[in-house]
Amino acid sequence: MAEFILSAEPGRPIGSRSARRLRAEGRVPAVVYGEGVDPVHVTVQGRDLRAALSTDAGLNAVLSLSVDGKQYLTMARELQRNPVRGTVIHVDFQVVDPEREISAEVPISLVGETVELHRADGVLDQQLFGLPVRARPADIPAHLEVDVSGIVIGSVIRVSEIALPEGVSTDLDPESIIVAGQPPRVQEEAAEAEEAEAAEAAEGEAVTAESGARAGEAAQAGGSSGSSEEG
Amino acid sequence: MLMPRKVKHRKHQRGRLTGPAKGGTSINFGDFGIQALEPAWITQRQIEAARIAMTRHVKRGGKVWIRIFPHKPVTEKPAETRMGSGKGNPEHWVAPVRPGRILFELAGVDRELARAAMERAIQKLPCKARFVVRAGTHGAGEVEV
Repeated sequence: MAEFILSAEPGRPIGSRSARRLRAEGRVPAVVYGEGVDPVHVTVQGRDLRAALSTDAGLNAVLSLSVDGKQYLTMARELQRNPVRGTVIHVDFQVVDPEREISAEVPISLVGETVELHRADGVLDQQLFGLPVRARPADIPAHLEVDVSGIVIGSVIRVSEIALPEGVSTDLDPESIIVAGQPPRVQEEAAEAEEAEAAEAAEGEAVTAESGARAGEAAQAGGSSGSSEEG
Repeated sequence: MLMPRKVKHRKHQRGRLTGPAKGGTSINFGDFGIQALEPAWITQRQIEAARIAMTRHVKRGGKVWIRIFPHKPVTEKPAETRMGSGKGNPEHWVAPVRPGRILFELAGVDRELARAAMERAIQKLPCKARFVVRAGTHGAGEVEV
């Protein structure tokens, strides 16, 4: 099991004002908790955290957190980010037991070219971006690959069709859809818009015809001799 | 154009737009999105103009989600009216948006086409906004701290 060693400093002051000051110094406020462990408020270096979560294991990396001389085997759970800057503003470290199964969400990555679908102007609709799995911390895969090269309009790939690695299971309904080949929607919208435009144009024509008819009637009323001549 | 079907109160107070968005800050449906970088009131007409600009550029394929809704009525007094005599009449609807909010999402097109379409849509909006992509779908190497 590849573990990343991260050092954390305990005893940080609580509150938004002090948290803001810590962030200005390049530190990230965090909390360590887990079964049989009292919660500890800590801070970690932002740069070290970035390095720890940028490995091949992704966000599900198992981290060995050193707090005041004690070692905790943890995983980063709730990662709060600034919505504009994207910087991490707080992180939860959950203490894990290497021998016990835990739940985690594994990202799903699509592989393969959807040649048939593109030829038919279809849209690949990914409905599930992460799969909740249960596994021991060391067995949690970095990501799950789903081959979409054979997908066409109307076909779907379900959870049951994913080959999960050994020791990994999911509680999700096996019939849940991961990706589906959908017919194009913008075309429908464009057709609707065209229909609406055509309807408007027809309405406009009707209005002109009506006003023309009214004008004709007026002319008729004004010069009855003319109409009689015609008659 | 988007507008509420039924409202509890015809006229709202203006309120304030301070701080970042509290929710709706991540891409949840599509692969690409437009994220607001400034606070703004986005009107129903601007939402519609942005949507049309995007769908017309994409032409075919692709699916668009509008992640904001103009819930807030805006009142205006008629021109050349003396002050007083109460609040004006509801004239249009706006969506109050804070920085970080995802405004639109797009899926089913390649990255370059999505960027071009969304850059056009951004031109129709009253605030600074940027093109963003869904993060964390591939795991490794995508974390930003």
